[in-house]
Amino acid sequence: MPLAAAAVIFSGCQKAGPQFIENEVVSVAVKEIPFRDVNSQLWSSAPVTRVKMLPQNVIPPHNTHPSIDEVQVRSVHASGWIAFLLEWNDSTRNAIVDADRFVDQVAIQLPLDPKNPQNYMMGNKGGRVHIIHWKAIWQDDIELGYRDVQHAHPNYWVDMYHFHEQPLYAEGEFPQEPYTEQFKTPEELNYMPGLYARNPVSVLNRTEPVEEAMAEGFGTFTTHPKQNARGWGKWENGKWRVIIARPLISDDANDAPLADTTSIAFAVWNGEFQNVGARKHYAPWMNLIVK
Amino acid sequence: MAEVYNWQLKRKMEFPYEESRPQRQIAYVFDTNKCIACQTCTVACKTTWTSGKGQENMFWNNVETKPYGGYPQQWDLNLLRQLNGQKWNKASETYEGKTIFEDVPEGETVNGWRPKERDYAYPNMGEDECAGIVEKGAFFTGIHSIWMFYLARICNHCTFPGCLAACPRKAIYKRPEDGIVLIDQSRCRGYRECVKACPYKKTFFNMVTRVSEKCIGCYPLVEKGEQPRCVQTCIGKIRMQGFISRHDQPRRDNPIDQIVRIKKLALPLYPQYGTEPNVYYVPPIHVPREFLYQLFGPGVDNAIETYRNIRDDKELLAAFLLFGNSPKIIHSYKTDGSYAIGYDEKGNVVTRVPFTEPIYVRPYYDDKVKSFRHNTP
Repeated sequence: MPLAAAAVIFSGCQKAGPQFIENEVVSVAVKEIPFRDVNSQLWSSAPVTRVKMLPQNVIPPHNTHPSIDEVQVRSVHASGWIAFLLEWNDSTRNAIVDADRFVDQVAIQLPLDPKNPQNYMMGNKGGRVHIIHWKAIWQDDIELGYRDVQHAHPNYWVDMYHFHEQPLYAEGEFPQEPYTEQFKTPEELNYMPGLYARNPVSVLNRTEPVEEAMAEGFGTFTTHPKQNARGWGKWENGKWRVIIARPLISDDANDAPLADTTSIAFAVWNGEFQNVGARKHYAPWMNLIVK
Repeated sequence: MAEVYNWQLKRKMEFPYEESRPQRQIAYVFDTNKCIACQTCTVACKTTWTSGKGQENMFWNNVETKPYGGYPQQWDLNLLRQLNGQKWNKASETYEGKTIFEDVPEGETVNGWRPKERDYAYPNMGEDECAGIVEKGAFFTGIHSIWMFYLARICNHCTFPGCLAACPRKAIYKRPEDGIVLIDQSRCRGYRECVKACPYKKTFFNMVTRVSEKCIGCYPLVEKGEQPRCVQTCIGKIRMQGFISRHDQPRRDNPIDQIVRIKKLALPLYPQYGTEPNVYYVPPIHVPREFLYQLFGPGVDNAIETYRNIRDDKELLAAFLLFGNSPKIIHSYKTDGSYAIGYDEKGNVVTRVPFTEPIYVRPYYDDKVKSFRHNTP
């Protein structure tokens, strides 16, 4: 997009409030990507796409209690990166897991072959899609430290964990439960099977709250070996605002190409209503135009 | 939905996948009449597999007191309430009600429920609580007016696992070599659909690794011909692990087949759920029958009758004598009327158990140490 045109949209938005569009996402050029600033003025230069979300009820398990009907999307690009700001209303901030506790999440999906659209439900066999997935718990892992047993249950107590040596504490000092990051030896990790198996869900030292994955249909979500995407999320006043960013041109063969026009699809989960996996809200493909 | 044959229900039923029985199926027999709820099995399992961070509330093995106990709480009652019409035809012993794969709410694969975190908080709530109140002045007259019993529970390594059926990622698999059901720890993404679907609530969520885990049948032991930890450590010798033959190919010399298939003395737990569980229980003989029918199906009367007369059936008694007398898996056995002899897969003798333990009488005065022998209370 010529700089002058961007300036017109930019100044126009400031005066008239956000420009709302439907059925397509238009990414506009800005001077820099606000990777971690959901409140940046740079976002206001982009038109807002109101994406209607539908409860997933195509294949079991269904989302039987829809709770999010719209996600508002803006997109900007600069210096070889493209970023999306996804906003939706959610009165509850769900960012920790337990047997019955689930987290808020959002994801975007891009086709590997923009000319031959794949099934919008996570692609299809031979029709691969590229998914970038943000989770509230990963956001807190990075901002506050790995969300641990003691964060969900502050008063819990365990006498000992096998092969983990508790640091000595002075008399009268209340001993602290060890944090999971302190478990490092293979013997200690033996008792954390997901970590030992290097499950991409069980990552203690995550640096970005997003995960890139590929899929060719339901149940095939597979983490990319190389992670290029960035993200950031903030919950304020009953609203999530999440940034998902990725390189505009990537040398990673697993990343979807961002041609002039491609497609984009969305999914959002409300942890409060036990949304997880296929129990989600989705929006099918719409055009993504990078100007 | 595919149609599979469930021998415990004596009928075909719906299941999300085609019938695919393993080459051999791990199976256990638990004699509830001998369990004293010492929890040695629980501790053996816990220290071996689930004492890590994130596994604090996890018991792959637990022993609960029935009728009130349960871990997680009300694991059985919650599903019984929501699975309607559990009707058995007692004459043909055919299940006429619906299974968890047949009575499925809209949008689900399996009829299940998800426990709350609090449901795991008290692993032995209801311990030793009886089914009724002991009247003041009551005394034992030979018939138990109130009752309770201990129910030891592990994963049933079901032939048609609810957890496997519900996993949208196909991260749960049943090993063809022994029928052990496992969660792939590198593939699971912690959706907890298995936790919701397992009718026995024997899959658990690990809040540190954020994926689910379950009993692994101590497969490293089983692979080298040994019985799992919970079986080996049982001080009451209530347990035996082996392999059960196909329902239409029972072997008389397989102790598990002898007990389960031929004499039908040990019964599956809640067979009406339809998962074809592979832990078989000798029903507690003092518990009211209606309660037992609900737990173990219509074979209860026959099982208890057979159990009461076990001393007359040397072949059956010999199979029971093998319990807890060898760490090795017993693939076949025989008896000469005085001993029960157990063999491993290669035909080596792994245990010889006498029908009657020899009695040694030692003199009151020990000449060797010049001292009297005392029974010290």
